[in-house]
Amino acid sequence: MADINKKKIVLPLAPNEEFGSVKHLNTKKIKLPHGIPGHNLTEIEREVSADEPPALAVNDQLSVVGKRTKRIDAIYKVTGAAKYTSDIQLPGMLYGKFLRSPHPHAKIKSIDVSAAERHRGVHAVHILSVEPGGAVQRDNGHDAPAETYHVDKLPVLRYVGQPIAGVAAISDKVAREAVQLIKVEYETLPFVVDLDEAMKKGAPLVFEEKVEQQQTGGDVGGEAGAGQQGNLRGPSIGSFYGGPRGDVDQGFNESDIVVEGEFRTQVQTHCALETHGIVADWQTNMLTIYASTQSTKSVRNDLAELFDLPLSKVRVITEYMGGGFGAKFGAGHFGVMAVVLSKKSGHPVKLMLDRKEEQTTAGNRPNSQQMLKIGVKKDGTLQAIDLTSYGTAGIGLGAGVGRVAQDMYTCSNFRMAQYDVFTHAGPGAAFRAPGNVQGCFALEQLIDEIAEKLNLDPLAYRDKIDQSEIRKVERKKGAEKFGWKRKQPGSDSGVVKKGIGVAQGHWPRIIHVDSSATVRINKGGSVEIMSGVQDIGTGTKTILAQVVAEELGLKAEDITVKIGDTTYPDGPGSGGSVTAGSITPAARNAAYQAKMQLLGQVAGGWQVEIADLDMEKGEIFAKSDTSKRMSFVDATKKMRTNQIMATASRPDDYGGFEVGNAIGYDRLGSVQFAEVSVDTETGVIKVDRVVAAHSCGRPLNPLQIESQINGGVIMGVGYALYEDRIMDKETGYMVNANLDQYKLPYSKEIPHIENIIIEQYGAHSSTDASGIGEPANVATAAAIANAVYNAIGVRIYELPMTPDKVLAALQVI
Amino acid sequence: MIEFILNDRKIRTDKPSGLPLLDFIRYEQSLTGTKIGCREGDCGACNVLVGHLQDGQMKYLPITSCLTPIGNVQGKQVVTVEGLNMEDLSPVQQYMVDEAGTQCGFCTVGFIVSLTGYCLSHSTPDYKAAIAAIDGNICRCTGYKSIERAARHITNALAGKDTRETVDWLVERKFIPPYFKEIPNMLQTIGAENGGQKNGVLVGGGTDLYVQKHDQLLDREVDLVANHPNWRFITIKNGVCTLGGATTVTDVQESDALQTLFPRLTQHLKLVASSPIRNISTLAGNFVNASPIGDLTAFFLALNAKIELTEDDKSRTIFLKDFYKGYKDLDKTKGENITAISFIIPPANSHFNLEKVSKRIHLDIASVNTAAQIIVESGVIADAHISAGGVGPTPIYLKDTCAFLMGKPLTPELIRAAIDVLQSEISPISDVRGSENYKRLLLRQLFYAHFIKLFPNQISLEVLA
Ligand SMILES: Cc1cc2nc3c(=O)[nH]c(=O)nc-3n(C[C@H](O)[C@H](O)[C@H](O)COP(=O)(O)OP(=O)(O)OC[C@H]3O[C@@H](n4cnc5c(N)ncnc54)[C@H](O)[C@@H]3O)c2cc1C
Ligand code: FES
Ligand code: FES
Repeated sequence: MADINKKKIVLPLAPNEEFGSVKHLNTKKIKLPHGIPGHNLTEIEREVSADEPPALAVNDQLSVVGKRTKRIDAIYKVTGAAKYTSDIQLPGMLYGKFLRSPHPHAKIKSIDVSAAERHRGVHAVHILSVEPGGAVQRDNGHDAPAETYHVDKLPVLRYVGQPIAGVAAISDKVAREAVQLIKVEYETLPFVVDLDEAMKKGAPLVFEEKVEQQQTGGDVGGEAGAGQQGNLRGPSIGSFYGGPRGDVDQGFNESDIVVEGEFRTQVQTHCALETHGIVADWQTNMLTIYASTQSTKSVRNDLAELFDLPLSKVRVITEYMGGGFGAKFGAGHFGVMAVVLSKKSGHPVKLMLDRKEEQTTAGNRPNSQQMLKIGVKKDGTLQAIDLTSYGTAGIGLGAGVGRVAQDMYTCSNFRMAQYDVFTHAGPGAAFRAPGNVQGCFALEQLIDEIAEKLNLDPLAYRDKIDQSEIRKVERKKGAEKFGWKRKQPGSDSGVVKKGIGVAQGHWPRIIHVDSSATVRINKGGSVEIMSGVQDIGTGTKTILAQVVAEELGLKAEDITVKIGDTTYPDGPGSGGSVTAGSITPAARNAAYQAKMQLLGQVAGGWQVEIADLDMEKGEIFAKSDTSKRMSFVDATKKMRTNQIMATASRPDDYGGFEVGNAIGYDRLGSVQFAEVSVDTETGVIKVDRVVAAHSCGRPLNPLQIESQINGGVIMGVGYALYEDRIMDKETGYMVNANLDQYKLPYSKEIPHIENIIIEQYGAHSSTDASGIGEPANVATAAAIANAVYNAIGVRIYELPMTPDKVLAALQVI
Repeated sequence: MIEFILNDRKIRTDKPSGLPLLDFIRYEQSLTGTKIGCREGDCGACNVLVGHLQDGQMKYLPITSCLTPIGNVQGKQVVTVEGLNMEDLSPVQQYMVDEAGTQCGFCTVGFIVSLTGYCLSHSTPDYKAAIAAIDGNICRCTGYKSIERAARHITNALAGKDTRETVDWLVERKFIPPYFKEIPNMLQTIGAENGGQKNGVLVGGGTDLYVQKHDQLLDREVDLVANHPNWRFITIKNGVCTLGGATTVTDVQESDALQTLFPRLTQHLKLVASSPIRNISTLAGNFVNASPIGDLTAFFLALNAKIELTEDDKSRTIFLKDFYKGYKDLDKTKGENITAISFIIPPANSHFNLEKVSKRIHLDIASVNTAAQIIVESGVIADAHISAGGVGPTPIYLKDTCAFLMGKPLTPELIRAAIDVLQSEISPISDVRGSENYKRLLLRQLFYAHFIKLFPNQISLEVLA
């Protein structure tokens, strides 16, 4: 096995490692739709590569794209035919199980696995000499905090649940028995699991030495080279949007009103319904992996690197997977273990985490303590923003609170200091809009406070300070649909008080240029699209079918989508709302190029120019001579080769990127409105209604987008009211490592939700689409918090807003 | 040997009776449509339907297969999604497709099963009942809205459902495959006697035991009580209501006799767990579980119920309130089982109420719960039995408070004065469900709520506050 410390760190955003923007041999100028229909739609001219397809018209002129299209794989899901990683059964397959640390902080003095090895039915036992995986390895090539591990020195145990050793046996039960036969002598050490305690002087140290980690794509890691004192690492003072701006102190001096608040958010766990897991099948010529992952290629790359295999010898398959929400990137400690065990035993090995392991070791959204201060002029102009934050991602990094305060509103004086605090708890991981959800809870409440001080309606005030044209439209349409009319805070009479609130969300538009797809047209008219990209429930399969069908004049159901397999060209990971914006242009371009090849053959036959031909409604026809017409199916029957094939990758954004090779112009903005009822006797908050106004560039499939938004809103409701990882300070254990005391919303808790999808064209690519996963839950908790304030007249500064906090805020207890 | 029908096939297995049904389905039968989400009864990904003959009709109930020992399905039909699939999608499946009710799809089969269970119920279709049917299913992706839409369409498609010959009606409309009609005959050929063993661990519904230690039970024979007809009944005789120890929460909820006695019974019991759990969890299990916040315990404490404890052929009867000696410490020998629960039918002028507050309104263990049975005659409290849960190491019968109230005129002052007594006989601690102060406050509010709800003419919030 390769030394994990030799792993190079691949930075998706680092322009210095990749070539910068691409030059083209031939270019052309095309006019693309730009703006928001019904508001400011115009056309814009862009110079693009000559290979690019013509501009796609706005949605209402299209036949498949932008239409409510049923999920093409839903039939396999409603019949139970869809096979998930946990359903994979291979001949001779063994079951893997972990021995995990029972202590939050300990050293292994000795370990004896001989009894486990002798146990009947056990095929392999392996002691982990490094602790790969966990949150810090979630991104492609993303390294663990670089502590030097030696093969002869076992890793220090730093949280309850940290993997120590693994067993592969003929059944889950035998594996479990064998795990219990492993004898370990521990030297227990003092520990700390609480954020505040960990920051105190003299708190038990999680890492003795300085750890290093680079900043990565979808989230807010600690900066390279940042300071580290005790358990405190940081500060991180910038993001990919730049560093501090202006003079904050002077900004406050010149402010007429200064508001500040201390906000706290809890640790949230992902709770994908399918736990993390993998099936590894090590053969001498090929390592085949079935993984519940958000990125097939990230699993492949990790394993190829760790096991010194060429990329060609590792195949990762993810046909169906049961949700990820950010935590399922990379091979993970279980992936590495399964592969070792398969290699050792000569059998395929399945290793699925159980719910407790999932809750404690497989990632979480770090908590936060945010001190936010904003100064404004009498007219409301933002003068200064100052943010200090602390948060713990356990033994991982990445507890920053996003770029919300930095980037949502224009303010020339800005400063932030974000600190990671190490604790003896399982590593955090990227989680649906990492950082931004936490950051929004603070910023959007404070913006409301300012509006109140200025005697302005919260919406009117945002109209003044928010430069985003998209959110402006969202506010307007949202307010109309919601029937925005606020009472004075706390003015509702009666025991159950109603209130309304609004909050805005913010997420960058991120693109992965390493996103490729192949389109294949077969004799007889069947069409396939193939890519390594996976569908984690977001509907990627369906939008790919739609985009290809639109280009070829076919129906979505005519397209066979083969994805989730690294045998195909690499696709993007499914995280950070990058997928739709990254893979659909590649898909359309590949379809376009395949189409051109087919049209070339038809043009030769008909003796016309290619440019004179087009495809529509399953037919190929000449624009100049309508008698020249042939069905798509018949045309393919005359193809010279059995197949026509074209592969394309995601080109640069038309008009270039804003930062590096990955951050596009335009943000994915959202505005959410909430109505709540607060029972002032029991403290129970009920969310009655949410209006969620969102944009994701060109909406490809409103049916799926709505579902994503609803899912995000409900995840936001869970975050606002119920979900909370609770650690026992005495033992270092997670008290609610289940779905019983870790509370998710159920069907009876669901408010009325209405969606508004803003169609917005930025002329960035051949599909001009973007994702929606992250924006969907950024604003929810903040909107609910503002509504609660409106209901009871007292602000709640801490999540989740449980009944006892409400009663405490009302000073009843 | 355990015998049952799995979808359309008769199963005879010598697997130990303690093996979870989920493991049998997935590993022994390779039917992987049924998923594992939590193994703790919380997510519903493992839901299956269990059908048995009742009054000549098949009655189907969704249950969590992860918590159910296979011995408990002896003589019944188990339906998984594979047993619902036909050549075309059923309307339940089709509407879930049409409305985008599935995203990642991992939860989907559980929803299909629960919603099909709703179709198979012998009651008139009602959207609220459809939503109630999925009260134990978690979906982390969709936000449930698309599933709600599907539930609405399904309800519409069920218009005119024959609530007696339900199976035939549904077969005709392709909700379920035709083989369902054959099941009653097939079941006749299998005994209903349970396959469990006398000296194993005693299991009721398993909703407590299998959460704690399914891995220790999966290769063991267990002693199953849930199927035993002698342990599962509800009778009313000579002014006394008697229930078998293995009576499930759903049995209680569906009992006409009890519905008449407690008009708000359904609302009360809907706050207990989720429907697949209520369908299997037993009263005795709830009592013996001895959780300080057991909802059924609070309910029966306020009825001043008695329990019958039986070991071999020796029986004794004690008050439920005397059953609890300390935290998980019971007046019960190892060999004693709760065979019956009984209470005196409250007189017509008695009033009953149950209150529960939890962080999440539904499917949540209470932070605090309380039940009250009160009789007021000529303005004077003639009898009072009040229980409280979550405010001490055991479920509590508030005997001092009851004694304080008894014989005094019902006035707001009295209720307020009772709070001091009440606070003195509870000892809540701060935990995951809330701080000590919060629980004390909650119990006060819920105590008030009993009187406000039961005697709105005499007591209102305004006068209490
Ligand atoms: C998802 C979920 C939600 C829940 N929600 C609630 C809730 O809202 N409110 C609530 O009160 N509870 C709740 N529970 C707890 C549980 O369902 C109840 O305590 C239930 O009544 C236990 O009954 P059972 O038959 O399933 O118990 P089992 O697990 O079968 O048994 C529990 C204990 O009782 C013993 N036992 C069983 N029957 C007898 C008998 N006849 N005589 C003597 N001992 C016996 C068993 O040996 C065991 O020790 C929930 C559980 C789950 C899984
Ligand atoms: S697996 Fe979650 S309820 Fe059974
Ligand atoms: S669709 Fe993913 S959990 Fe429901």
